[in-house]
Amino acid sequence: MPEQHPPDDALLASLAARDLSALATLYDRYGRLAYSLAYRILGESEAAEDVVQDAFLSAWKGAGSYRRERGNPRAWLLSIVHHRAVDILRRKTTFRPAPLEMAESQPSDEDTAVSAEKNVEHRTVREALEALPQAQRRTIELAYFGGYTHVELSELMGVPLGTVKGRMRIGLQKMRRALERTR
Amino acid sequence: MNEHVQDDLEAYALGALDRGDAERVAQHLALCASCSNDAASLAEIVGTLPDTVALREPRPALRDRVLGAARAEARQATSRRSPRWSFGAVRLSRIAFAGLAAAVIVLGAADVEAYRRMVTVAAERDAYNRTLESLREGARLWYMAGKDSFAGSGGTLYEPRADGKQPFVLFHDLPPINEGQVLTIWLVSPDSAWARAATFRPNGQDIQVVQINTEVAGFDRCAVTLDDSPSGKHGTVVMESRIAPPTP
Repeated sequence: MPEQHPPDDALLASLAARDLSALATLYDRYGRLAYSLAYRILGESEAAEDVVQDAFLSAWKGAGSYRRERGNPRAWLLSIVHHRAVDILRRKTTFRPAPLEMAESQPSDEDTAVSAEKNVEHRTVREALEALPQAQRRTIELAYFGGYTHVELSELMGVPLGTVKGRMRIGLQKMRRALERTR
Repeated sequence: MNEHVQDDLEAYALGALDRGDAERVAQHLALCASCSNDAASLAEIVGTLPDTVALREPRPALRDRVLGAARAEARQATSRRSPRWSFGAVRLSRIAFAGLAAAVIVLGAADVEAYRRMVTVAAERDAYNRTLESLREGARLWYMAGKDSFAGSGGTLYEPRADGKQPFVLFHDLPPINEGQVLTIWLVSPDSAWARAATFRPNGQDIQVVQINTEVAGFDRCAVTLDDSPSGKHGTVVMESRIAPPTP
């Protein structure tokens, strides 16, 4: 990914110094992706907007505690979005497990190709995910985007917990190798 | 060092653990460099998953909402740093009255019991004065409610705004714990990373003050665990805050 100016690390340092223009730049850079992720998880625009506002405000207040070893600024920000969205999803959903077909009818990835194809980096990640055997891909997607715990997935998919963990492990290993090959 | 958590790291990275398990893993990661490195490596891969979603445009007004919320928070933070009340030559008892009245308003019903005890327990006068001082400076307060065997107890983390004042937690009604066990105060960041803030044992008093020797800024939750040793194995969460309010 080309280096952006100012770099994300510098933006977070400015955030910690209470520079609102840095927050505006951070939003312009990642607001759309943050919203898209929240929408993918929650399937509602209003809830997704609330999550994005909450996440950027958390970043604004928490930039001083950001540590590089917890991931780059983009990953850190998106992890806040993910945590908040999944929290809301779990609170509002009288769990579950739903039948697998219902779980899979959540906002789909089918239409992601069109927009994701426009960005080489995004296309590479998507191809790495699509290249996984279906069971591994489904496990990772239902966990990350569906908010299912591994115990729920075990029940939902009718496989032992160890199998769910194995699918996650091998799937993520394969994704790592695929992404490393393209870098 | 407690048992490693390698078996759960993928689920942790994907956010696929329930709250209890996620807390257990996060607490281990705070203590174990080896697992922490593995978790960071997995987080990097999981961090690419947002790139697979269909991009959607939020409404333009969302940008204004985000910046407006941050601007309001910045204004509140500035006002917190300014002394709110001038005490002048007012007698200490009047200062105490005003401070405690403010405490009732700020702390809410959950801490009324702690407030009442603050008045009556003369032996804890130091804590009481510290509380007044931090309230005078516009401290931020997070209340942690005890649960399970700690139900009925609680603790309020005070983040004083005055320079040179350390954050501290004012606990009330802590039950006794077994010989060799300790309580650990944790600070939790917005991305759910846990940082050990202090370790202590209940002193048997109704009220107990525990100093925090670390920066509280940047964290937005706190919790207390009951542990079998001060530095190793962590136990169950016995007290936790909800997300801290931005201002009192």
